[in-house]
Amino acid sequence: MPDQVFSADAGGARPAPPAAVRIAGLWKRFGEQVAVSGIDLELPAGKFIGLVGPNGAGKTTTLSMVTGLLRPDQGTIEVAGHDVWADPVSVKARIGVLPEGLRLFERLSGRELLGYMGRLRGLPGDETDKRATQLLDVLDLAGSQHKLIVDYSTGMRKKIGLAAALLHNPEVLFLDEPFEGVDPVSAQTIRGVLERYTASGATVVFSSHVMELVESLCDWVAVMAAGRIRASGPLAEVRGEASSLQDAFLELVGAGGRDAGEALDWLGGGTAR
Amino acid sequence: MSALTTAEITPVFVRLKLSLLRNGLKQSSKRRAAFLASLVFTVLFGLLQLLGLVLLRGNAQAGTVTVLLAGVLALGWAVMPLFFSSGDETLDPSRLVMLPLRPRPLIVALLVSSLVGIGPFFTLCLAVGSVVAVAQGPAGIAVGVLAVPLLMAGCVALARALATANVRLLSSRKGRDLAVLSGLGIAVGAQLVNFGWQRLARDGGLDALEPAAAVVRWLPPATAIGAVDSAGRGAYGTAAVQLLLTVLGVAGLLWAWQRSLTKLMVSPDGSTIAAAEEARTARERQDTGWARLLPGGRSGAAMHRTLRYVWRDPKTKAAWVTSLAVGAIVPVFNALQGTGSVYLACMGAGMLGVQMYNQFGQDTSAFWMVAQTISTPRDAYVELRARALALAVVTVPYTVAVSVLTAALVGNWPALPETMGLSLGLLGGMLCTGAVASARFPYSIPQDGAFKNVAPGQGGLAWMSIFLGALVSAALCGPLIGLTVFLHVSSGPLWTVLPVGVGWGVLIAWAGLRVSAPQVARRLPEILTAVSKG
Repeated sequence: MPDQVFSADAGGARPAPPAAVRIAGLWKRFGEQVAVSGIDLELPAGKFIGLVGPNGAGKTTTLSMVTGLLRPDQGTIEVAGHDVWADPVSVKARIGVLPEGLRLFERLSGRELLGYMGRLRGLPGDETDKRATQLLDVLDLAGSQHKLIVDYSTGMRKKIGLAAALLHNPEVLFLDEPFEGVDPVSAQTIRGVLERYTASGATVVFSSHVMELVESLCDWVAVMAAGRIRASGPLAEVRGEASSLQDAFLELVGAGGRDAGEALDWLGGGTAR
Repeated sequence: MSALTTAEITPVFVRLKLSLLRNGLKQSSKRRAAFLASLVFTVLFGLLQLLGLVLLRGNAQAGTVTVLLAGVLALGWAVMPLFFSSGDETLDPSRLVMLPLRPRPLIVALLVSSLVGIGPFFTLCLAVGSVVAVAQGPAGIAVGVLAVPLLMAGCVALARALATANVRLLSSRKGRDLAVLSGLGIAVGAQLVNFGWQRLARDGGLDALEPAAAVVRWLPPATAIGAVDSAGRGAYGTAAVQLLLTVLGVAGLLWAWQRSLTKLMVSPDGSTIAAAEEARTARERQDTGWARLLPGGRSGAAMHRTLRYVWRDPKTKAAWVTSLAVGAIVPVFNALQGTGSVYLACMGAGMLGVQMYNQFGQDTSAFWMVAQTISTPRDAYVELRARALALAVVTVPYTVAVSVLTAALVGNWPALPETMGLSLGLLGGMLCTGAVASARFPYSIPQDGAFKNVAPGQGGLAWMSIFLGALVSAALCGPLIGLTVFLHVSSGPLWTVLPVGVGWGVLIAWAGLRVSAPQVARRLPEILTAVSKG
């Protein structure tokens, strides 16, 4: 299947906004396995961007390389016009990260973690504490702020991770599966905070394999499968003729039309045996 | 569905236990090898013990030894669930809640199935050996025949009763923390046993144990062996009382076990209740007084977190307390035994200096949070310096205290300044090599289990870095040691070793931080990968 690529500013005569993230020729191998095979991608600034794909598509690997947590084999990455690997000083101050599958400092309480991260980021102590209080309030963690994170639920962990990622007011926020295993109430809270954040002109890049969620949240999506970008662009363009992003996605990754068909004809309630 | 009787379910449980053992072995060849090795070892060791105990027969001290052995055995059974809370091979009764089982048949079936396994076999060897060693005459033999099953039942019931009563603790986070900390008990305990043993050997042997045995022989289930011993010596009244105490003890344990088991199986799952309670009773964690003394900014924050982790993280706590305890026990106990040297006080500095190694491995994969805030060698330098300072905040006063104490006990005050100088110089060397090793040879520390301190495949890396690091630290202190020797030979002013040692320690620590900081800043993704395994 040929890769479909849509340009973010295809129709408009307006000047293109600077890209939040610019990826060129990005590769990563783990032994024999190629996790990311030559990605070129430009993510527009000021958008709510979804990176979607099935498990093992390379989303986490890509986000880790973009955020400086994993060294690419090849390729360049720029965030807000600065090279991630050549100019970490400019990049690390401008990004917030919530990775998946990595721990937090779990023997600190939620408030202590925010205080710690703020000071590591070089924020003044008073300012850190003020922001921490507000974030804990908005994210509905004020009641558990003195509990150790090791005792937090999954939803609470994602929320405190989000708070830590927002503390220094980054320009671009990278979230790996921020809604995975999160209860609906916490998910709504996270969603509200992210929507407010993007409304102010900041960029959110998040990965997910839940299409409905991406469809309802994002205005720009990139579809990944088997280490490649299969399509990227504004949501409506990627969805195209399909009735939903889910259908468009299945079409793109070549999983459409796979039906149980006749194989399980015996399966079903009502009839005996 | 009617409830099953004891006779019906006991064979089922025993078969279930055997299946669990068998299937557990099928899972991996490594586990099978470990099982076979421990089986061979236990059989050999058990039979050797048996032989040793049989040979003890007729010895005047046989009663003392066997009674104490039974006490130690029971203690071992009691604390075992704490160490192996996750790997307990016995049947987990909470899996049986949905089955129509009455408590009494269930207890009997669980008790019988608990007697299947390596541990019970070892216990059986010791019990039989102990009885053979002390049983004299027909009365002794008769009591002995009763004592073996009673001792076995007592040990198993004790272990199960304690485990069931504490199951909420053992399956909670606090319990798991406790299990991790239990490694500490072993490390410190081994030192104490070592010194106790030396003392015993010096004080003319087993006579010293008699007062302890006199108490233990009245404590069930060790009373079973006590009864055999008493009966063999013709004290039938004493034997009868001890036997009765054993029976009462076993019955009491079984009753307590049944009670907590029933309660456990009919009340809601403890995990959610405990969590809710904890939220309610969570203390306000405010900055305590000492935290205000820390510097501001990154240094203070990193120091504060390091010191908090010493207290709150079970792995870190175990490592620190072990270092603190061993670093004090060795010089002080040696001094108490009159074989000490004031220079042994250097050991504490060395032991605590090891904590500087693998700094980022101690963060686990949470290191990504630190990595996100390090963009320049300067950031890395401040981070490492803060961690070294946090270590020094504890180690420097500790080293001074141990040196003073050892000097006082040995009565060698003139050697105090040079000891302190050498200790602090060594600490500087360990901080220097530790910082470099943290940057060059990071490895993962698995968070579960008391005895796993290195992720599989990284053991060589860990040992090499610490071993070589200690050697290099010693070499770095070479000039200092040379100075001390020179001053000794030339009868120079030995007190100068203290200021020179402090200065030298600070200098090499600073140099180590300087060398390692650019490497940390450059190798952030590699360090993160290395510390995120397991």
